[in-house]
Amino acid sequence: MTAASWAWLVLLFPLLGSMVIAFGFRRLPARTTGIIGTAAIGLAFVAGVGSLFALLSEPSESRYVASSLWEYAGVGELRIDLGLYVDPLAVFMVLVVTGVSFLIHFYSTAYMESDEGYRRFFSYLNFFVFSMLLLVLAGNFVLLIVGWAFVGFASYALISFWYRRTTATAAGMKAFVINVVGDIGLVLAAILIFRELGVLDYRAVFEAAPEAFTTNEWTIVAICLLLLVGAFAKSAQLPFHTWLADAMEGPTPVSSLIHAATMVTAGVYLVARSWTLFELAPSAADVAAIVGVVTLLVAGTIALVVTDLKRIIAYSTMSQIGYMFLAVGIGAYSAGMFHLMTHAFFKALLFMAAGSVIAVMANNQNIDRMKGLGTAVPFTGAMLVIGSLALAGFPLTSGWFSKDEILDYALYRGDWYTWLAIAGYVGALMTALYAFRIVFRILPGRPCPEAAELIETGHVAHGEPVNPVTGAAEDYEVGYPGRDHHVAEQARGMRIGMGVLAILALVAGFLQVPGVTEVVKNFLEPTFEGSPLAELHPPVGKAWLGLFNGGVIAVVGIALAWVFWVRRPAIPEALQTRFRPLYELFLHKWYFDELIDLLIVRPVKALGQFANRVIEPFVVGGIVTGTTTLVRSAGSLVRDLQSGMIRAYAALMVLGTILLVLYLLIGAA
Amino acid sequence: MLSVLLWLPLAFGIVALLVPAGRAWIPALAGAIGTLVVAVVFWAGWGSPGEVPQYAESVPWIPELGISYSLAIDGLSLFLVLLTALAWVPAVAFAASRKAGEGRERLFYFMLMLGESATLGAFLASDLILFVLFFDLMIVPFYFLFGIWGRDRDGVGAGTATMRMIIYTLVGSLLMLVGAVALGFAAEDASGKELTFEIAELIRRGIPDSTQYWIFWLFALAFFIKMPLFPFNGWMPDAYRAAPLPALALFSAVLSKVGAYGFLRVVLPVMPDAAELFQTAILIFAVASIIYGSVIAFTKIDLRLIIGFSSIAQLGFITLGIFALDDTGASGALFQMVNHGLVVVPAILIVGLIAERTGSEDLGPMGGLAKNAPILAVIFLIVTMATLALPGSPNFIGEFLILNGTFQVSVAIAIVASSGVALAAYYALRMYQRTMHDPLPPGSDSREISLRDGLIVVPMVLVLVVLAFAPQIVLGETGEAVADVVEKVGSAG
Repeated sequence: MTAASWAWLVLLFPLLGSMVIAFGFRRLPARTTGIIGTAAIGLAFVAGVGSLFALLSEPSESRYVASSLWEYAGVGELRIDLGLYVDPLAVFMVLVVTGVSFLIHFYSTAYMESDEGYRRFFSYLNFFVFSMLLLVLAGNFVLLIVGWAFVGFASYALISFWYRRTTATAAGMKAFVINVVGDIGLVLAAILIFRELGVLDYRAVFEAAPEAFTTNEWTIVAICLLLLVGAFAKSAQLPFHTWLADAMEGPTPVSSLIHAATMVTAGVYLVARSWTLFELAPSAADVAAIVGVVTLLVAGTIALVVTDLKRIIAYSTMSQIGYMFLAVGIGAYSAGMFHLMTHAFFKALLFMAAGSVIAVMANNQNIDRMKGLGTAVPFTGAMLVIGSLALAGFPLTSGWFSKDEILDYALYRGDWYTWLAIAGYVGALMTALYAFRIVFRILPGRPCPEAAELIETGHVAHGEPVNPVTGAAEDYEVGYPGRDHHVAEQARGMRIGMGVLAILALVAGFLQVPGVTEVVKNFLEPTFEGSPLAELHPPVGKAWLGLFNGGVIAVVGIALAWVFWVRRPAIPEALQTRFRPLYELFLHKWYFDELIDLLIVRPVKALGQFANRVIEPFVVGGIVTGTTTLVRSAGSLVRDLQSGMIRAYAALMVLGTILLVLYLLIGAA
Repeated sequence: MLSVLLWLPLAFGIVALLVPAGRAWIPALAGAIGTLVVAVVFWAGWGSPGEVPQYAESVPWIPELGISYSLAIDGLSLFLVLLTALAWVPAVAFAASRKAGEGRERLFYFMLMLGESATLGAFLASDLILFVLFFDLMIVPFYFLFGIWGRDRDGVGAGTATMRMIIYTLVGSLLMLVGAVALGFAAEDASGKELTFEIAELIRRGIPDSTQYWIFWLFALAFFIKMPLFPFNGWMPDAYRAAPLPALALFSAVLSKVGAYGFLRVVLPVMPDAAELFQTAILIFAVASIIYGSVIAFTKIDLRLIIGFSSIAQLGFITLGIFALDDTGASGALFQMVNHGLVVVPAILIVGLIAERTGSEDLGPMGGLAKNAPILAVIFLIVTMATLALPGSPNFIGEFLILNGTFQVSVAIAIVASSGVALAAYYALRMYQRTMHDPLPPGSDSREISLRDGLIVVPMVLVLVVLAFAPQIVLGETGEAVADVVEKVGSAG
């Protein structure tokens, strides 16, 4: 079988899984739907591996296949196929997406056990994976947009999963609308590409672009900036990031899958996929890198102060994706993809561990309330530590290898890119701080009541169901956990899911060790063939020096976190009072929500009200009233015929019209 | 043969007048289904896209005046005819299931079926006067349907609302009639041959520029009022609120398209110079409608009005595509007419289902219906996503092509228009969320859609789903006909 046939199978399984569960939701037992959903993703992973081997059996210069099922839409010159494009980058993404998704599905079978919407959950989750795979396998820009939007839709459905909770539905809507803004960016980019090049298939576009554009010509810059609008919206980069923290309203496995491991990396994938275009528009590539760096700093500051466990991790995601944008923006494509992969492992792990913690805490997510969980749930505690180590870039963990490879590359490119690298190191310090702020605040110490209950009775605490954000009372059907909730880390599915990811988070870094192996880079090489930037390579010595620096920063950050939150808790409190305005700024997420509300939402609403109150009655209504009055006054000449019957009036109108026409015709003839 | 298709609904409508009132729906439904079958047979016998027109018949009607009874189906009309035939089935079935037309069922179903014949006539006519007559005729049954069986809302009587609608529309079509007649004579003068209103012949003869310029606006005005576009939508809110739902579904889904179709069928080919000259002006009307319809839909809570104003925005998109005078844009516009029709019928019928469960058509007091009605929720979700043109829906391809066409003419207009897409995402999703999601208020009955209602609503949704996978089914057949129209405009100047 060719790589393309395998790729169609990769798409088929999750779609089929989603549909089988959706259509069988009344008949299938809940457990079965969980198994179907998980198996579908497992099979997709297997097919992905098939695709990998099919591709590897080809010589490196022909490691790509395009395959089309039928013509999707064609008008005149415009031709869009329902087609895929399979190359190392696509296969890499397929493996990361299906691999991590499989573990998350597995985890979910246990985690969501007591939820009323178990079947719905797996149907959505499968559909989400299908969409993401369509996004990475699409063979042209239009199909990419379709996958892109399906992902947005699936994310909406999953964020609003507990759909009777108003905070969840509002969050879903916000995510969806911001994603649509991103979609529009992509649509305009595709239209512009078509206008300039007359094609939309990836390969045709990438082959035609270097001929058609000179470097930094405005059209190619415009195309790339429009692509970036889509990429930033999907990947929660400034200023389109506000939906991501709110998206934590969704069930925790969703946060793990969509808002950490897969969907939010789509923007990074897009830039890497379109590297040919971005190298023709270096200014746009710089924009990607700069926005990435700004995002990683801003998100880092917010993660340092917020107290909601899931939101801290969400901001850390934004920040890590900032590193990836920095990477693909400066041309370190394979390093960016490598970090995408390791991040998927350790971030999915962190969210899973957070889910386990939230389960123990009876759905409370505030880290101020958590204490002594290390004793109550030692396995989860260990997972949290491993995830945090990788996130902080502790030496030998996967995050250390991947993040520092990016920063090495930035340093190596020199020039003002050095400043980006320095900012990246500052961000790394913050990362270590907030990662271990979580660890040090919730794991050690005297167990809080919920943890104590688990330790003493062996049962998970059962609080009254409340909305974790607003504290409003709810019923069991609305949110997590369900009435019969008793999962904690004892559940096997959760343990296996976390365990495998923990191993990956620890060892995946050894795929790319400077001077030793370069598995990811070598595998992706055919995709980036011909890129001068991809050829650039810091010498081994510099690379190790960078790793050393990164390791020192991580250790210092962790040590500082220990001082702040274990040894001398007075220090962070003093800092808070001392730098009150700054603290407020961070706590209010730099007031981005308020700013967007002020600049966009309110003006549009005001415009709507204005149209409603002024234009509609006076202008639009005025034209009607004027016309009808005119006709009526003409009609009143024959008032006798009116006889109060509106129908007769209308009949008269019709008759009059016809007579008038006949008159015109006869008169003229 | 086209006459069979055209008059079949009316024939069944007449039968409906003759049977007992309680059974009047049976011939109506049979007629609607029969018409759909005939329309599908025509489609099945469709040859290669190049042959124009595919089916035609023509007999002199009033030879002294050059008026002929000529009908045709070609790439421009095929899918609109199919849409009409398809839309009538669920509308009649829904009316029957709700015992609509209370008191005078026979008249109700007669009017409904007369409406179908008249609408089909407008799409089939290839004689200009015939087109205008059908254009006028089709409003008449709807006038009665809205006026007699409509509801008084907030102090606005159904009668008054409908009166405004019909006067306004008829004024528009009256002007168009004058224009149509004038076109015939202008062509007669220009060619020196005898008077005719065959559209194809008018195109061949050509109309002097100066004549085109003023007649163009008579037609444009009539079509703008019918669709409606901003600022000629004044009749719309009250009429939409008054109308009985099945009639409204048809009115919004099909009748509004006749105006847009008129641009493609008559205005562009017969008055190409005027179309080119006034292109920018029309594009501005179109883009104004997109923004205006969207921001108002943003503020409304009445479900009918949200759909109504979103239709204004959608028809703005359609007009934009047509007047991009580009084959992708115009193909997208024609495709979007079909898509919008496919979306609106289920959307409006679902409003009825929602009202039956919540006792209201206002978003304020509702929510949470998905609780015990997941299937209803999913159907509505699909309709919502198609309404907001989620990529992957056929509506997205329509919009993509329209924006692509517009982009070739004016980047600025294309960008402004694309903001309408974001606004649509908000108001359409809000409509879904406030009905199906959020807490279920007391007094609302979250009841699953019944099998019967499912059979009424789902087939159109299925057509949407099929088109989502293969928009080419439509685009492949319409492409050449549309390109033909658009290229004439370009070459005439």
